[in-house]
Formats: sequence, structure tokens, C-alpha cells
Amino acid sequence: MTQSVSHGEDYQPVFDGKIMDELQTVLQRYPTKQAALLPTLWIAQREHGWISDRIMAEVAEVLGLTPAYVKGVVTFYTMYHQHPVGKNFVQVCTTSPCNICGAEAVMKALLEQTGAQDAGATSADGKWTIVEVECLGACGFATPVLVNDDFLESVTPEKVPEIVKKYR
Amino acid sequence: MPSLKVDGRSLSASDGQTILDAARAAGIEIPTLCWYPKLPTVGNCRICLVSVEGQGKLIPACATKVADGMVVTTQSHAAVENRKGVLRLLAERYPADHLRNGGRGGASPRNEFERYLVQYDVVPTAVETRDLPLRSGDERPGDPMIRHDMSTCILCTRCVRACEDIQVVGVLDVGYRGEHAEIIVGADGDPDKAGCTWCGECVRVCPTGAIFEVMPRQRFAPQQIRHPEKVVRSVCPYCGVGCQVDLHVAGNQVIRVTSPDIELDTPNQGSTCVKGRFGYDFPQHRDRLTRPLIRKGWTKEGGRWIWKGPQGAERRAGPWRTIEGEGRRAKPGTPPRATGKRVRELPLLERLDMDIRDRVATPDDWYSPFREGSWEEALELTAQEMLRIKAERGHDALACFSSAKCSNEENYLMMRMFRGALGTNNVDHCTRLCHSTSVAAMQRAINTAAASGSMREIEQACDVIFIAGANTTESHPVFGAALKRAHEKRAKLVVADPRRTELAGRADIHLQMQPGTDVALYSAMLNHILRLGLENRDFIAKRTHDFEKVREAVKPYTPDKAAKITGIPADTIRRAAETYARGPNTSTLWAMGLTQHANGTDIVTSLLNLMFACGMIGRWGAAMLPVRGQNNVQGASDVGAIPFVYTDYQPVGDQQVRARFARTWGVPADALSLKKGLMVTEVVKPESGVRGMYIMGENPVISDPDIAHAEHWFQELEFLAVQDLFLTETARYADVVLPGASFAEKTGTFVNTERRIQVSHKAVDSPGEARGDFEILMDLTNRLGLPTKFRVAEDVMQEIAQVTPSWAGVTYDRLEGAGLQYPVPTPDHPGTAFLFDEDFPTTDGRATFVAVEYTDPVELPDDEYPFVMNTGRQLYHWHTGTMTRRASGLDAREPTAIVEIHPDDASLLGVREGDLVRLTSRRNSMVSAARISERVAPGQVFVPFHYREAAANLLTNPVLDPYAKMAELKVCAVRIERA
Repeated sequence: MTQSVSHGEDYQPVFDGKIMDELQTVLQRYPTKQAALLPTLWIAQREHGWISDRIMAEVAEVLGLTPAYVKGVVTFYTMYHQHPVGKNFVQVCTTSPCNICGAEAVMKALLEQTGAQDAGATSADGKWTIVEVECLGACGFATPVLVNDDFLESVTPEKVPEIVKKYR
Repeated sequence: MPSLKVDGRSLSASDGQTILDAARAAGIEIPTLCWYPKLPTVGNCRICLVSVEGQGKLIPACATKVADGMVVTTQSHAAVENRKGVLRLLAERYPADHLRNGGRGGASPRNEFERYLVQYDVVPTAVETRDLPLRSGDERPGDPMIRHDMSTCILCTRCVRACEDIQVVGVLDVGYRGEHAEIIVGADGDPDKAGCTWCGECVRVCPTGAIFEVMPRQRFAPQQIRHPEKVVRSVCPYCGVGCQVDLHVAGNQVIRVTSPDIELDTPNQGSTCVKGRFGYDFPQHRDRLTRPLIRKGWTKEGGRWIWKGPQGAERRAGPWRTIEGEGRRAKPGTPPRATGKRVRELPLLERLDMDIRDRVATPDDWYSPFREGSWEEALELTAQEMLRIKAERGHDALACFSSAKCSNEENYLMMRMFRGALGTNNVDHCTRLCHSTSVAAMQRAINTAAASGSMREIEQACDVIFIAGANTTESHPVFGAALKRAHEKRAKLVVADPRRTELAGRADIHLQMQPGTDVALYSAMLNHILRLGLENRDFIAKRTHDFEKVREAVKPYTPDKAAKITGIPADTIRRAAETYARGPNTSTLWAMGLTQHANGTDIVTSLLNLMFACGMIGRWGAAMLPVRGQNNVQGASDVGAIPFVYTDYQPVGDQQVRARFARTWGVPADALSLKKGLMVTEVVKPESGVRGMYIMGENPVISDPDIAHAEHWFQELEFLAVQDLFLTETARYADVVLPGASFAEKTGTFVNTERRIQVSHKAVDSPGEARGDFEILMDLTNRLGLPTKFRVAEDVMQEIAQVTPSWAGVTYDRLEGAGLQYPVPTPDHPGTAFLFDEDFPTTDGRATFVAVEYTDPVELPDDEYPFVMNTGRQLYHWHTGTMTRRASGLDAREPTAIVEIHPDDASLLGVREGDLVRLTSRRNSMVSAARISERVAPGQVFVPFHYREAAANLLTNPVLDPYAKMAELKVCAVRIERA
């Protein structure tokens, strides 16, 4: 299923040098290259911040898949970004229990204090993107907030300035 | 064998058949949307659900295997209600307002899906009450071939599977989810970047017209397209795969081409490639010749035609540049390859500084040296001059080029005319520049001239596919797709090719050698096989002789030595050898990459040695397949349009053979020459003595090596008649140009690469006074003094069957359907899918090993000419471009001449994509545009030979193979500069 994909002259491949070595280690854990698509996309997103059409094509080439297949997978899941996001990607749980416990106020505080303004938008300084998500599985510690890979529990509007300061 | 009852009828099914298969076989209709013949079953549309006795739920007919004793009801209340439910849900997001009157308002269903809506009386939701908007998706406005209107997509995913599983390309997939799900094209909507080959398989399977063909809609009304006046079965006019196609006709024009969904053993099984599906409009091009043309200067005085025009070099002059002159001229730059959703924004052809049609079409002033004449005048003049040259200069001063694009009947008539009426064997056609070296090598080894097996066996039974010098996915795309399917399913793929073609990119082993070093490679593979003892000793002992000579000959060619010559690592050669020998069933395919060399016969012989030593022939799955280029190059050779044999390869020097043909044709035996005739490449030389020529459907001024000399030679002829559709580069030097018929305008038979004789039916009339080639040849034969009375092509086939033992059982009746694979020795013989299971057609039934030595290609790169130039075909074009460059869709895809250069070389030369470069060989030079591509290896360039304005053959080397007189078209040394 390999396709030769031309990226043009200005494209810097993600999978090169050390990242390629990392991918090789990942591939060893899977029976086929196709099976390693999700972790490969994670690496790409970690390195580049989001997954562009070009990167989908590169992943397809690296794994011997078709670009359309990779895009099908990327667009099926919500956790692969198809647009640039801020340096800090913040996910706030706004499902029922958290909502009752004040998640909306947390959301509002984050949007205001980071300058991101709207859910899903990125702040002007490129540092923050705040999104609402469904249950993060921590109803006992409402409101849970994920800042990149850090899981913060029992967040209240009062704690927001501290968080913003820490990650800025 | 399980038996079942469907709607009260008792049926028997074979093991593994589904309920749907069994019902379809019995003619019982079960509606289907996601299911389609030959596509993998997914069972997601739920419209084929049926009731089965004893089952609580409805069962999907497409995905349920038949069990013995099943009782199925296809139209039960529950099944019908379910179908209505499915259709209602789909219609919820489908623009079907025109059907809201239930057909009573006169609106009729436009496609397969709408027919079900009407059949099941489902009233589509009115626009204003729809909850969800219509679907959207990639549109591709402005594309010349395939566009999308995704508002009618019902997400059946047939297109996705057709692309992925039939064509093995995978441009399409389903993206997003839930209500947003849609068909996506590649990663960024650009089909070219995703490897699209524009085969149109998606168009074929789409049940709603969401993916549709552009050209018919641009030219014809929807009613005409939906209800053509007739649909005629034909054979595709391009490559040797011999795809069966259906021509849809309205108003004496072909409105579109589809591929029949028959499930017989046809070569294409419903698929076509881009040329077959979209390259059908050239017969309707404005350039078609509609009346005979006679060069001004010929006048009739006192009952004889006399030349009164200028003599000498001016005799055949005209207001055109020679091919040499065209080649050296600077050209407008190439437009970027225009595809994808942004096609609208790309600089398309209108940005070129000339009318698109004038780049390729016949310029208006080319007609000026000619006047239109009547058929009577044209044929009378032709007959007079040919008879005069015969009388004054002897029989052998006449020669003809017959045509691999014409039918068996026409080729037979041509060779009958030249042999029977003119008494010369100077009859040849483009096989000389194609597989002549294969034929020479195969005849020397096993006295045969055709493939041993069938194309379908590769997919069915082959374990290792060995492809040498064949870019199958571009030159024979439908067969290429079958190879890819075989590779995906089970077969290992080994490709020997200097270029990294698509198949080479997919291959398990790619042997990327220096061009022309094949003998060293195959000898080294055999050397390694013998060292490991992997040869098939039983086969060698029982079915061959002279093996010891080859054993000795390959001894010096160790993999290490071959590595130095070929540039392939020795270990790769060893691995390839072991894979080849271990099979168990290895099929061997080759094409022009092997044959078009000055030692082509030796190259093919060394490959045959490898094949015989491993015993890889004569079993289902172990096929020998020289892949044929033209749709009838096999047939033209079979019916004797080559200089040394009559039909069925019966030698012209054999007195008995001669007597038999003389009797059949009603001429005295000594009227037929016993002397072998001249071959294409020998004719076009001053020393050939040929002074008068008749050319049917060939364009040697572009296709012959070292064109500048060939073109000059044609200008010097005493008389030249050309029979063609257009005023080609060759025809412009003619005295008489006879307008012939295109593939759609005549009935005849064609032989494909697997020896399958198929019949192609007339669909439309020729334009103006253009005549069928059959009628032209018959008329001329009569004028040349050989009485000939055939009413129709079928009569000619009767005579061919009489004089061709292996075609003795062939009649038109028997050719309907999938055709017949010859040998067909008797009227009840079923044809032969593969040959040589017991013996070879040699006197002792054994194959002969012939020892060959490696020699360097005639021209090697040096300081002055540092690059090796390779020539070949592109996906969108065909040979000298006479047809494809006049097919609007194909020409739009690949509008200008290019030369492929490796990125490393390009940066050394300072050349960027699209820059003009000058290529110079020891013979000539020409200017073309660079395409930077990693398909070629560093130090090599690839030049397609389709382009008049940048003809590859200006540069090629005319040195000939000693046996087959093939020219060295694949290797010559060139220098590259920025132009």
C-alpha cells in the first residue's frame, strides 16, 4: 500500500533521526506496522503539536498505509488535533457532576485569564487552548482539569491564577 | 453441495456461496447497495436482509453462507419493511425532491439508488422538513475526468473498496464520524498525491452518481447518457491486456465507455484503466481525415497518373518542422500537474502561450501540400505506383508496415495482399520494436512465440511473481492491478528494473540494476541457484537438453561479479535467486525493459535459461508471460504480418507451406516468394532497396530509432501510401493518405497477451468518406490483381481458420463472451489456458538451453555523455500519441513532454521542476522539461517517447540486435544542460 508522497521542498519530516529511532522501538511492540498507527500519530502530535495533512501523508509513507486511511483514523478520534493548538492544551471536564460543582466557572476563569477567550480558540500569544471535554473519570474530585499530560484535581476558580502562572 | 429454497424455488449452491450468490445465479433479485460483484463484502447497508425459516431475525443475504436445507424468502413482509426503513433513512439526506410525486409527476429515477426508492415506494423527505443538511465532501471542480457531488453520497463505501481492493491504490476512505462522516480523498484532497491513477473504478461502482464522469455530461444530455441508443461490446484499443469494454452510442457518437460486469474469464473482469475508460474521444477529434488526400503534383494524363511536382528534396516538402527541428526548439514550460480540489486555482493549459489543441493536433497548414481526392483516384494511383515499382524495381522494392492496432482480419488481408498480389515478404509491423527479441529467443528455445499461461493464474495460483523490465501498472494497468492484488493476497513480488516504478516500490525485492546489464543478473541468479542445488533436476533431465553448456556459461557469473556489473548488492541477488527457485510456483513476466536492447535476444534467453533450470513453466501458476504492448501485436504476428512466416509461424521458405497458401489464395505457387522479407528496422535504411511503401496505422517517423535519419529516408521514397485516422508525422510525407476507421467503427478480432482471441463489434459509422481498413485493403488487393471477395470480416476469419492449424476451431459465434485462448485446433476444443504441461512444440518435445555471454550496452556513459537515457511509456499516453494526445481527458492529465531526473542530479545541474533542459546524445539533441523524480536512479534519466515536440527517438541508438533486428531503444548515453 506504499505510496510515494512528495512533500515539496520546505517540508521537514517528523520521523527523522532520534524520532525515527523511537518509532522503530514502538513498532517492535506491534504485529504489523498498521497496528502501530495510533502511537505513531501520538509521537507526531507530540513533536509537531498537531497533525497536518502533510504529516498524515508522512505517517502513511512511514507505515506503508494510504494517506486516506491515516486521515480516516485521525478524523475519527477527537484527541488528534487537526489544527494548531496552544503550547498548553487544557481540557476541562464539564459533564453533569462537575458542572454542578462549578466547572463552568472554572472554564470561564481559564478563558479569561489565559486570554484564550473562546473554548477551542487559541490565545493571541499562542500559549493556551482551552476545551470542554466529556467525563475525565474523576467525579469525586470535581472539577478535574488536564493541562497537557498533567491531571489536576478539585480545581476551583480560585486556583486558576496559580495554574496560569505555573504553566505560562 | 448444499441445496436451498429461495422464494419457493429449489436451488443448489456450491460450497462457500452466500444466499445472495445463489439467488443471483438463479436470477432472483435481492437489492444491494454496499455489496458489489468482486468487492469484499462488508454487509453494512442492511438492504439485502431476507427472512430465513427458523431464524428469529432477518439475515443479510450478502454475508450469510448457504446452509443445506435453508428456506429463504426475499420479499417477506419483514424484509420489505426493513428495506423501506433503510431507504427512508438514506433518503433523509439525499436530494430526491424530483421523486416526491412517486413517479407520477413524470420524474424518473436517475440511478441505482433512486430505482430502489421508486421500487419500494419510498417517498423522500421534503427539503424543508429535513433534520440534517445534505452531505458534503471533496468536489474537485474543473477536473477533466472525474468529479464529485457528495450531496448524493449514501456512504455505501463501494468506491473505497473498489479503490483499495480492486485497483489496490487506496485514494479514498471514510473520514470523520457520525453525521459528519464523508468520503475523503487522500490526506489533503489531492488524488495525485495519494497515487490516483484515474482508472474510474469509483465511477463504475458508485450507485448514486456522487462520483461521476465529466466528459459525457459536458457533451450529451442526461437522457442520452442514461438511455443510449445502443451498447456495443468492443475491445479496448490500447494495451495488450485486451479489456472488454461496452461502448454507449448516441447519435453515431460514442458517449461513454463502461466495462461489462460479466463474471466470465475476461481479462479485465469489469475493470479498465484511465485510457480505456476516458480515452475514447479521439475518433471524434476535429483532425479525423474524412476524405482521401493526394499530394499536389500528381495529375492524371492519358489514363495514367504522372508526378508533375518538384523533384529531389522538394518532392515531399511541406510547411512543417522536421521532428529534429521540433526537438531542438524551446517549448512553453510545463504546467504543474493539475489535480485535486484546488484545480480551479492551478495554472492550467490556457496559460500556455498557444492553443492547447495545436500542441498536439495536426496544424492547419500541414494539409496544404495535399488536395482532397476521391477513393477512386487515391486507390487507382496507389495501385498504379505499386505495380510500376514492382515491374521496374522488382518485388522486393516494395514493403509494408502492417499494424498491431488493426484487427487480425486486416493484418491477414495486408499480408495476403503483399505476398499474394505483390510477391514480396517485406511485411512487418511494430512487433519489431516490441517483442521481436522475445519471439526470437522463445523460438530458439521452445519454438513458440506467445505467452505460455494466462493473466488470471497470477492471482489464482502464483507464489512468486518475477517481473523484469515491465512497468506494468502504467503500461498494462488492469493487469498491474491484478499483480498488486496477488501480492497483497499471497504472492511474493520480485522486480528487476532500473527505475523505481510503482511495483518496484511495493516489491519484496527490487533489483535496481544499471540498464542493459540483465544477462549478468540472470546468469548470477542461476549461478547461485546451482551452487545451492535449488535447480529442478527432474525438469532439466526430462524436458530440456544442452543444460551443461549453460552450467558452464554461468560459472563465471558469481553474485559478487554481477554486483559489480549491475550495481545490485550481491546479497540481494542471492535472495532474489533463492526466492525465484523456491517458488513453488514462480511466474516470469517481462516486457520492453528486456527486449529493446541490441542484445535483447540474449537477455531474454538468459531469463528463459533461469526459468527452465527452475522448471517454472507448464503449470497453473508458473507462467511465462511476455507482456504484449499493443492490443493486437500478438494477433498481427499470429496471422503472419511478419517477414519470415505466414500464419501460425509457418516459414515462408517451406515449399509445402507456400503451395498451401497459393492454393487458398488462387495464385500460382511461384508467385509467392520463398525469400524472407525485410524487417521494420532494416527497411528504413538506404541499402534496403525499398522504393515504395504502404503503411497502415503506424507512425515510424516518431517510433523508429534515430528519427532524423528515418525521417530523411521516408522523404526519399518513390512512393508512399499511408492509411491512418489522422495526418500523422509519417503521413505528411505520403503521396496518398487513405482515411481508415477507428476501433469503434469496425468489427474484427484481436488477440491479447494471453493468446485470447476476442471480437470487437462496430459501434458507430466512420466520419465522412473514411472507410473501414478491411474495405480499403480489399479494394486495393483487387486492383493489384488478386481477386478478393470477402463480404465481412467474419469471412476473412473463416479463411484464417483454414490456413492456421491452431486457430482451426475459431468462429465468430464461439468468440462471443470471453473469447477463446488459442490453440483451438477443432470446432469443439475449449481453448487452452496454459501450455507446455507435458512437452514443448519442438521436434523432440524438449526445450533447448542456449548459453549466452554478457556484453556491455553498446553505449556507456563517459565524461562527454555522462547520463544513461532510458525510454518508455507513461500512464496517460500511448506510443506516438496519435490517439491519446487527441483524447481530451488524457491529454489534460499529461499535456507536455518531460524528462525524469533524479533530485541529486537535478541539484548538481541546477535544474528545478519544470525547467527546460537540453538532452544531447551522439546522434542528436532535443529540449524537454525536467520532472524531478526519485523513480530514476542517480546518473539515469527517463524520457517517454510519446511526444512529437520532444521525441525520445531523436536520441536513441539505431544499432540492431543480430537475431531480431531490434534497436537499442532502452540505453543510450546523453549529456544534459539547462536550455
